[in-house]
Amino acid sequence: MFILHLLNRLQERFGDGISRVDMTSDERLYLYVKPAVLRNVCVFLFDTMSARYAVGIGADDTPYSGKYQVAHNFAFDGKNLFCSVITYVDGTAPEVDSISDRIPAANWSEREFYDLVGVRAAGHPFPKRLILPDGWPDGEHPLRKDVPWNHVPENFHSGREYEFERLPEGCVAVPFGPFHPTLDEPAHFRLYVEGERIAGCEYRGFMAHRGIEKLAESVLTYNEIPMMAERICGICGCVHNVAYAQAVEEAAALSPTKRAEYIRTIMLEVERLHSHLLWVGLACHIAGFDTLFMQSFRIREPVMRIAEKITGNRKTYALCVIGGVRWNLDEDACTGLRRVIDNLEDEWRGVVAAVSKDKNIQRRTRDVGVASPGLVKRMGLLGPVARASGICIDARRDHPYAAYDEVEFDVIVRESCDVWARILVRALEVFESIRIIRQCLSKMPDGPIAAEITDELPSARTGISSVEAPRGEAHHFVITGEDNKPRRWRVRAPTYQNLQGIPYMIKDQTLSDMTLTLGSIDPCFSCTDRVETIDIRSCSHRVYSGRELESLVRRKDK
Amino acid sequence: MWYDLLTSVFRGLVNTVLLLALAPLCEGIVRKLTARIQSRQGPPIRQAYYDILKLLGKEDIEVGESPVFQRLAAALGLASVLCIAWLIPMGVGIPFSGGDVILLVYLLALGAVVGVLAGIASGTTYSMLGVSREVMMLITLEPLLIIALLVAAVNGGSMRLEPVFSGVVFGDVTFSYAGLIMLLMVLAAFQAYVKRVPFDIAEAETEIMEGALMEYSGPKLALFKYAQMCRLVVYSGVFVALFVPWGNELMFPLGWLLFWLKVAVLVVLVTVLAASHARYRIDQAVRYFLVMVAVSFGALVLAALGY
Amino acid sequence: MSLAAKIKEVLICLRAGRVTLPYPFEPATVPKAFRGRPIFDVERCVGCAGCANNCPAREILVEDVCQEVRILKYLGRRCTYCGRCADLCPENAITMSNEFETATDEISDVGQTLELFMGTCQRCGRCFTSPTPLEELKLKGYRIDDLMNERWVFRSKPFLNEEKTVDDIDIELD
Repeated sequence: MFILHLLNRLQERFGDGISRVDMTSDERLYLYVKPAVLRNVCVFLFDTMSARYAVGIGADDTPYSGKYQVAHNFAFDGKNLFCSVITYVDGTAPEVDSISDRIPAANWSEREFYDLVGVRAAGHPFPKRLILPDGWPDGEHPLRKDVPWNHVPENFHSGREYEFERLPEGCVAVPFGPFHPTLDEPAHFRLYVEGERIAGCEYRGFMAHRGIEKLAESVLTYNEIPMMAERICGICGCVHNVAYAQAVEEAAALSPTKRAEYIRTIMLEVERLHSHLLWVGLACHIAGFDTLFMQSFRIREPVMRIAEKITGNRKTYALCVIGGVRWNLDEDACTGLRRVIDNLEDEWRGVVAAVSKDKNIQRRTRDVGVASPGLVKRMGLLGPVARASGICIDARRDHPYAAYDEVEFDVIVRESCDVWARILVRALEVFESIRIIRQCLSKMPDGPIAAEITDELPSARTGISSVEAPRGEAHHFVITGEDNKPRRWRVRAPTYQNLQGIPYMIKDQTLSDMTLTLGSIDPCFSCTDRVETIDIRSCSHRVYSGRELESLVRRKDK
Repeated sequence: MWYDLLTSVFRGLVNTVLLLALAPLCEGIVRKLTARIQSRQGPPIRQAYYDILKLLGKEDIEVGESPVFQRLAAALGLASVLCIAWLIPMGVGIPFSGGDVILLVYLLALGAVVGVLAGIASGTTYSMLGVSREVMMLITLEPLLIIALLVAAVNGGSMRLEPVFSGVVFGDVTFSYAGLIMLLMVLAAFQAYVKRVPFDIAEAETEIMEGALMEYSGPKLALFKYAQMCRLVVYSGVFVALFVPWGNELMFPLGWLLFWLKVAVLVVLVTVLAASHARYRIDQAVRYFLVMVAVSFGALVLAALGY
Repeated sequence: MSLAAKIKEVLICLRAGRVTLPYPFEPATVPKAFRGRPIFDVERCVGCAGCANNCPAREILVEDVCQEVRILKYLGRRCTYCGRCADLCPENAITMSNEFETATDEISDVGQTLELFMGTCQRCGRCFTSPTPLEELKLKGYRIDDLMNERWVFRSKPFLNEEKTVDDIDIELD
């Protein structure tokens, strides 16, 4: 068995470096290692065992063990295994060795746990601020347990600006964002442009930072978090909702009922349908082809309607609670859903047939935004981006969850690495989703939609959950805690990894292709930005009356 | 003598007023038709008039490098298009018969140059990107129309507008293949002249946010938008006058109606093409136009040889 | 150029016809299960505060003003219409209506304040039997939220006494 083979290899290489091993199931391996060997274990897993880097997590464990916790999660996609390499560090200025120089995919994760928890990744190649706002004072780390959720830093430097790298010779800096018609959400790319050619770029994002993780750890309770998790993303909300519930269920060794698993699968696929159709529309809009944009939104509309009929809302399904789901699928809803997917299949087949022959679109998208298989591996790119580069990964098949192990479907793969391949992958995945929904509807067993939970959830257990969102794998990591709430909940949205690949994908392209490339990863900045900034001054709630506003403006005038 | 001058002024004014009055209507048709192709309800046809009025009524904000040139560019843009209305027959003969092909070419090019001026005057990064694209388009597009007019001039043996606009592009006595080639070329590039998808590259909203016009708002933007709407009509007018002028000499309402009908057909064509295409990249567009320019030169040689 | 593909695309467009609705000139319908603005029925409410304890957006506040009177205030400002309150209400006093056009100049239009007369037993909060331990918040006694500043404080006191200001929480108002 692979997991034992892996353990043997690790044992013989690192021996005493590994202080404890937890195998909660055949699919999960938690390696507790000494800080000194953390880097070597990670590099060994990534290089020698060719694991995929999933995410890095920092957590403040000081109230319990007096130490800070750092974990790097790796995925073995062919072997259905997640391996978490965990270490504890202490001291006033905790430090771990950086792995970003060998595993570039860890770049943001390491910067993030310095910003939020204050564990420095020593030797990081680009140790700039990633998440906290520019004016946030150094040395204050909001995810530490001694920082209250509504903390407002005293010495917030509102005038401080982010320092960008020096402009390369002969280039003009073109500011792309925070507000740009192609970006639906705020993010800033500083593009270094020569004529129309992009020579490089620097990213400054995390502007839509809402403090969801901190809220979850400090204010909310287990069953309230799903409703907040859903609001991490406006398009693939249900993914985070399900992923969170699954992570907690795994940590607490609960299992949802069979029917609940099927309903989750169906709703996840409904969400994928609408997300892919929406994306095809947006990609066409970026390319100036508004007619197809409108048409794919027209085709998408019945999907939204049926979701509204089943769950009560077009987009925010509020589907999961721990142990099950909230909405049942009655006979009426099943027939409705069947009809919707039948019509959708017909219409979409026509569109795909027409678009796949359309030279005009191909001319804009072929050989644009190329992500080589090497880049995909190095940066841990996910979802349709990876599958369009010939890397066959799909969490639904590789790490089956909900009812995905009981349905048949194909993983769509294309080899040309460009935007056109991503369009094809997404367009064809629509048919696979329809197939999955059909099978689920016919196989769905009767029974309760939520498991009975009779005891409080145990604390200090760890759960990992991976859900294939429309844009790639969403990865959730939960450490359960006391008082009906988790100690740490880390969300890694697919865009978090995919966005890190963008600078490589847009290099040496023209500006017109940049927007298309960025669009092609289906970026979701709110997913990426989620997390835990606290209401800084501007967020504190206040409603001004007209007169107050007027007097404010007058005061500024003087 | 005085009578001639009065008629030409009268005709010119009629053309200008008609152009100003009907250009937003054409835009309205474009929008409604686009909406129908996109399965939408679409705005009311008169929406374009409201838009112009709304923009004209807004505050005039001065931003950018040189406000004087910005204002000049806005005025010049509309003025140059209106001047062209004095040189083309819009159903009632050519108002200003003193003009020749060279003057027309100048005025047509001026419209494009104004876009460059507007971008440079506002001077932001994105407008400069728009300018560079505009210039690339200008260089490759203008020769096409010039050659088409020259073919007609060569065939007709005169640079004056009246003979040029009498269908002589297809040959005076014998049929000229050069005219047919030029018809195809100008038709293929027509979307670019009226700045619509797939060749609205210099304005590309999703890439460079309207490029040269990015910094404009209020009345100045209204003038640019108005010029843009008039451009569609005027270029259609030039196309109709050059390639399908027949029926102009009919009795007053008939010839006039026929002209506007032809323009409407072109507008519909432009709309359908714009709605069914994705925007090209600037290098792809330039390559496309360069091939067409080469073919056009061939056509000019053919015309000179009498084919 | 790929003319056949273009023609196919145009045909797809034309076959669909116009699909947009004349909304807002005609009302848009929503399905029966739609989760719109929650409506609180004061007749049915027993004041158990189960909704307030489990509202993810913390939009339902409870303040015991005296032994017999409990004020339950639904703010509706950032309510996400998740419907958890309606799920958990033991008396079905909360219904998710199908109102979705809730834009207003006056924020109190979407809110609701319930003045509840409490018997002795109910104010201990124990009448809310939670479906699972995950909903349990172990709240006993009198609950004090900051109704004046519309803030969720989440504190309970075994006895109701005179001072009911929340001086230890520094509420920041610009």
